[in-house]
Amino acid sequence: MSAFLLRRLGFLLITLLATSFLVFAISEFAPGDVATKILGPYATADQIALLTEEMGLNRPMPVRYLDWLGGVLSGDLGTSTLFKQPVNEVLWGRLANTGLLAGIAFALIVPFSLVLGVVAGMREASLRDRSISVASIIATSIPEFASGVFLASIFAVWLGWLPGTSPLSLGGDWSVAQQLVLPVAVVVLYDLGYVVRMVRASMVEVMRAPYIRTAVLKGLTRSEVIFRHALRNALIAPFTVILLQINYLITGVVVVEAVFAYPGFGRMMLDAALAQDIALIEAGALVAVVIAVGTQIAGDIGYMLLNPRIRVR
Amino acid sequence: MNDNHEGREGRVHPEIPRLADELAAGRLDRREFLRFATLLGLSAGAAYGLAGLRSAAADQAVPKPGGSLRISMRVPDARHPHTFSWVYDSNLVRQVNDHLTRTGPDNVTRPWLLERWSVSDDLKTWTLYLRTDVVWSNGEPLVAEHVIWNFRRWLDPAVGSSILGLMKGYMLDDVEGERFDEAGQPILTTRLWDANAIEQLDDHTIRLNCKTPQVAVPEHLFHYPAFILHPSQNGEWDEDAIGTGAFRPVEIATGKHAVFARRDGYWRDGPWLDEIAFIDHGDDPAAPLAAIASKQVHGFYEGSTLQYHALQALDHVELHSRVTAQTAVARMQPAHKPFDDARVRKALRVALDCEKLLQIGHLGLGAPGEHHHVAPIHPEYAELPPLGPDVAGAKALLTKAGYPDGFETEIACKKDPAWELITVQAMVEMWKQIGVRVAIKVMPSAQYWDVWTKVPFGFTMWTHRPLAVMTLPLAYRSGVPWNESGWANPRMDELLTQAEGTLDLDARRTIFREIEILMQEEGPICQPLWRSVFTPMDKRVKGFTLHPTFYLFAEEWWLED
Repeated sequence: MSAFLLRRLGFLLITLLATSFLVFAISEFAPGDVATKILGPYATADQIALLTEEMGLNRPMPVRYLDWLGGVLSGDLGTSTLFKQPVNEVLWGRLANTGLLAGIAFALIVPFSLVLGVVAGMREASLRDRSISVASIIATSIPEFASGVFLASIFAVWLGWLPGTSPLSLGGDWSVAQQLVLPVAVVVLYDLGYVVRMVRASMVEVMRAPYIRTAVLKGLTRSEVIFRHALRNALIAPFTVILLQINYLITGVVVVEAVFAYPGFGRMMLDAALAQDIALIEAGALVAVVIAVGTQIAGDIGYMLLNPRIRVR
Repeated sequence: MNDNHEGREGRVHPEIPRLADELAAGRLDRREFLRFATLLGLSAGAAYGLAGLRSAAADQAVPKPGGSLRISMRVPDARHPHTFSWVYDSNLVRQVNDHLTRTGPDNVTRPWLLERWSVSDDLKTWTLYLRTDVVWSNGEPLVAEHVIWNFRRWLDPAVGSSILGLMKGYMLDDVEGERFDEAGQPILTTRLWDANAIEQLDDHTIRLNCKTPQVAVPEHLFHYPAFILHPSQNGEWDEDAIGTGAFRPVEIATGKHAVFARRDGYWRDGPWLDEIAFIDHGDDPAAPLAAIASKQVHGFYEGSTLQYHALQALDHVELHSRVTAQTAVARMQPAHKPFDDARVRKALRVALDCEKLLQIGHLGLGAPGEHHHVAPIHPEYAELPPLGPDVAGAKALLTKAGYPDGFETEIACKKDPAWELITVQAMVEMWKQIGVRVAIKVMPSAQYWDVWTKVPFGFTMWTHRPLAVMTLPLAYRSGVPWNESGWANPRMDELLTQAEGTLDLDARRTIFREIEILMQEEGPICQPLWRSVFTPMDKRVKGFTLHPTFYLFAEEWWLED
């Protein structure tokens, strides 16, 4: 087990190193230069040359990469050229905001998807199954920018029950809780449908298994069959799927954050990419990799605990 | 406004009586009279009096103090005001620090931190008289030394201010620098053309000794980064900024919001609001719309045509609009084929139906373009007969130039604001009719500004300037940094220099008539339209007037119940 963990952590470090180098190298080939972006379209050639020199951007790429890497190893993520602040001061607050959005959404997605998925999968092709499946497919096929604008038009513009944007502080006369309703709703609607389908599929498969038929034939009640025999086995496959949603919830909610002007990690990354803010993009990429690989490791461990047949050497 | 101060020396510029005669004879309209009289140092109050008008400021209702107001606007990093490259950056600082002058929504430039100015008859010596009652928020009075420190900083190449480009022609000389470009050529740098170019006369008087005649110095002092900052802060601006303005910064959270509170001891009346906040909603036009619909904000920095119809449907919102000299031009670089042939450039102009482009591209809000970059609201504007649309004529021009079957090319265009891409798409359809097949290369704004002077064919936004004599020398004089098309025409250069040194409006208009014709015949641009701009504001917000450049002056506003 500990050897497995060590191997996985080593893998994480290598991924981090490779990603950071790739991001650095790719941004090297992105059109335009950083000094022009900072000074704006009207800067003279002399002004651009001066700033490029001052920021050390005229050094070769590998030198700048190693310089940056040295900083990261000592805990300094560099300075954002967009925010003109240390990355550490920008990144964590934004990540915490997205964490709040993701946390609430996750807390809703897990119970709802399990209940709905299990209910749908208990009796394949029943009316209940069909209704839940069709609703899930619809919810998950509407892109977030469409459902976001749609929900905002109904609840903010037409009914006036909820605020249309979620800047958190200075949101007008609306509380933070009210501001969170619409973005959370959009994320949950979009993601829930997918997870419900996964849980349902797994449940359907388990319900077809011979041992369930045996349990029914030996005279157990329906609830006994489901709770004692079906449920645990049906949840093994969706467990990984659910953990992978954390990845989407933190690093994939760019669209929802843009539609609702939510000051989170996704919008920060969007702005950073447009401004070619290399230090911020790098830091964001590292965070994304840690979350992606971290949830995978957690998924593997959880899978082992849930399924005694799987053991790692 | 600042109307009560007649000049201390009482000297009236010799042009002013002549301007007054022209006004009386009906050759000059009132607005143009106001613009030029104030430009030459007459106070706005006196100018309004001579023109027989009441100043707009005198007509306003009684402001109500108190309240907190929120505006949707990007909140970028604002630590270095002298290097700002967009207007919205400057709107943060504008609540705390001032300009020496202010060009009003009526395009008339008035003194602000200045009490008045005077200019020599040859337009080369500008004397700036500072107000004596301006007090910084740290209690110090504003003196000439502070202002001169700012001038020197603006014009220091190491600072990186765009004011340098604006004033270069009359304040600076090019010199070879110590840095070299990729081709090994020394990169030109600049220095003051004369050690005495910025001269302090006394504690409240500054003299600019210019290299060449310049008519638009007061307008340049209102360029968006031209803030007067306190020298002790070394050009940096943050929550501790010392200002002469009506508000003080409370919290600046880049990318999220910025909050300002009224300050005590302001040297003028007001401000009326207790607090003004700017909220960053990002680039998605749906977000500010949702915010104003649910009353999270009172107004926007700028309305987009994508939001226009939805905003009209909101009962509590008023749309403020203004005719401007904002535009975008499809400019062609004569260094690249087929744009090297003036007939090709003209053919592309003649093929366009600008009335239709205005309808399609900008909902009919504005005026059709005439391909010469002189706006109908510019005092120098001379009306010419319409140039197009004439598909047959355009085809004939192409045939003469050796392209009877047209040609293929590519135009670079920004993604936002949305009207730019829509307009380009409409132009491309019109060019199809003469056999010119244009592919559109859409890029994010930030990327476009990297290549705006480099692409052979591109669609570039140009901001409002109150005088045509400010815009055209920037964009169409040979070899200047913002001449994005690289078009070089000796006759154009000659005419521009003449115009810059000509005060008499009729004479200047005659020069501009020739400039306009030259632009239509040989110039490097197709200009689809002039924009009227608009922005929504909650009806309870009073005292707000939309400025053609989107400058915001929150100290003029108040909230009704």
